[in-house]
Amino acid sequence: MQIRDYIIRRLLVLPVLIIGTSIIVFALTRIGGSPIGIYLSHEMNPAEVQEMKERFHLDKPVPVQYFYWIKGVTQGDLGWSGVASAPVVDVFPKKFAATMELAIAAGIVAVSLGIALGTFAGARRNKLADHIIRVVSVSGASMPLFWFAILLLIIFWVWLGWFPIGRSDPNLFEAIPHPTGFYTIDALLAGNFAAFRDAVWHLIMPAVALGYGATAIIARMMRSSLIEELQEDYVDAAKAKGLAERVVLKKHARRNALIPTVTVIGLTFGFLLQGTVVAEIIFRWPGLGRWMASAVLRGDQATIMTYVMFTSILFLIVNLVVDIIYANLDRRVVLGE
Amino acid sequence: MSPDTAYTSDSLSENLIASVTNLKVYFQSKQGMVHSVDGVSFDIVDGEMMGLVGETGCGKSVTARSFMQLIQTPPGVLAGGKILFKSQKNCNKCDGAGCVACSKTGKNILDLLSLSESQIRELRGERIAMIFQDPGKALNPGLTIRTQLAEVFQEHRENDVFKKAGITNNLDGINGYLLKKYIRQELNLITKLMLKFPPFSGFRKKVDKAIDGLVTEALSETQIPNPNKIMERYPHELSGGMKQRVMIAQAIACNPDLLIADEPTTALDVTVQARVLDLIKDLQKRHQTSVLYISHDLSLVRRICDRVAVMYAGKIVETGDAETIFNNPKHPYTQGLIKALPSMTHERGKLEAIEGMVPELINPKTGCRFASRCKQKKSNCENNDPELKVLSNKDKSHKVSCFLYE
Repeated sequence: MQIRDYIIRRLLVLPVLIIGTSIIVFALTRIGGSPIGIYLSHEMNPAEVQEMKERFHLDKPVPVQYFYWIKGVTQGDLGWSGVASAPVVDVFPKKFAATMELAIAAGIVAVSLGIALGTFAGARRNKLADHIIRVVSVSGASMPLFWFAILLLIIFWVWLGWFPIGRSDPNLFEAIPHPTGFYTIDALLAGNFAAFRDAVWHLIMPAVALGYGATAIIARMMRSSLIEELQEDYVDAAKAKGLAERVVLKKHARRNALIPTVTVIGLTFGFLLQGTVVAEIIFRWPGLGRWMASAVLRGDQATIMTYVMFTSILFLIVNLVVDIIYANLDRRVVLGE
Repeated sequence: MSPDTAYTSDSLSENLIASVTNLKVYFQSKQGMVHSVDGVSFDIVDGEMMGLVGETGCGKSVTARSFMQLIQTPPGVLAGGKILFKSQKNCNKCDGAGCVACSKTGKNILDLLSLSESQIRELRGERIAMIFQDPGKALNPGLTIRTQLAEVFQEHRENDVFKKAGITNNLDGINGYLLKKYIRQELNLITKLMLKFPPFSGFRKKVDKAIDGLVTEALSETQIPNPNKIMERYPHELSGGMKQRVMIAQAIACNPDLLIADEPTTALDVTVQARVLDLIKDLQKRHQTSVLYISHDLSLVRRICDRVAVMYAGKIVETGDAETIFNNPKHPYTQGLIKALPSMTHERGKLEAIEGMVPELINPKTGCRFASRCKQKKSNCENNDPELKVLSNKDKSHKVSCFLYE
């Protein structure tokens, strides 16, 4: 089977998975009780309460409510967010972009640093560099994000004052149009270098804090699978051809060591999304995570469902991409199915 | 630095391509030093097939890998010995005339164990090549056959590639710089990108085509049908026999002086074994390559090898002409091995087995390693090390390491 057929088949399965996810998300949210509370005020009398229930179809059985929700979603109505006091659909894109910018930046940190450190350590097994990298990655995998984030905040914001918190300097960004919602990209599109520098400067600390855990996981996976690959016969066979150590490492061993690592990368993306909640609260980042945290506390179900749905779909897509990369790296996967 | 600047003053008889003297390779383990190869000596005659026979774990593969410095150190430790190898290049002192330094061979004599990394790299795949035991593991699962075979030419036949591509005149300046980097696999992101666009992409395609041609030639040498199609495949899409043919094609691509075959048929089906064996023998005869054939299968070695060395627990116990070893084995271990072989003339019934177990190789005591299993053991066998000695003056190549003949 060709890679192309494989991708098409995976894409066909995607809608089924999304529908399944939506049912689970809806059911789990409704278990938390009726969302009517967010629409009511103390002044309403029972008749008005009943009217509100009917207006939001909350007097119907739960399965029927699901279909009303789906109908709304397909028409672009994601519900009313009590926390934001606005329709979810109006607030969501801006916050989503903010979170994605953070998650992607953290992902770039984690993947590039993780693979580089893992390869470096694996190729120098039991040497000093390997030991140092192992200590760094063990601490990264075991330090809780909220603790590490606060540590960074104290050192680099409170003490040294090197990095700011928040997302941007509002003075710089008011004048710039926001076609993408990603401040770094918007600044570049506007050709405003000062704004770009400001956006990157704000991004570094939360991205590092958020990416550190994933970096550690990826580096450890990369190191151990590289060490395993370096024991394989084909590495000796490649050396026996007269190839330089560098080519043997990069072209032969690292390529195969990436196969298990790529799977882990896909999984750590979920880890990153989940971490945005904590990172956004600590670094005062105006993204979905912070919004989400207050929505959960206030029982804002429309927001919760949208958030969970979106992150699930994102996770599905990321894992699809990972599987495609995986199939490209390991040709046996596609054929073996 | 070319390997030929590192010639040694040791001598190598004229008819030999390589000679192993007192090779000792140990491995560190938690229990102690494992003496995998403990004083191994044998010669490989130029143009002949040398069989190295022994049971699993006796140190055959370690000996073979030492030729190419493929032993990982640590845990491996090179505890001593030399592997002398006659290079193709003329002697540095007499330039081919024949002097004392090169034992009148006119060629440089190299000690493979003392070469630097870059020096041994020039020999690997070019003058000394290796076929591995399991072709399924020795080919990289993530790269096509073409990519893997091409590397041999890219590493050692740069000029041939350019000549075949017909671009020897265009190698000055940036173009030559890029193409050389491309062949040597030293591209970075920018140079890789540059080669994707004209005017460089045209030259790159010519180089690719030239390499394709060389790969096809190498594959058809091993009688692979449809080499053009096979080379686009991945290893898992080929059968075991095909994969081993690819390995052989890769090994003989540069027409090496010495081919090391480390149990090349062990991982294959019996029906395929015979064909692969015939192929190796045929190629050896045609190219006059010297072969070190490693096997645990005595009958197989008898069929194809000119000379045999029998190895037991890290030491050579007997060596000589294949026929002499089989018809007139002297060492009790060799005798036991041959008795354990089924044959057409053998009367029906049980085969004789050698009683006992292979001794531990961790910090071994002095004394003959075979003593614990030997039926003809004498009093001094367990206390003294026997030496590999010539038996009679009639056949100086037949050597045995046993106290029975002293």
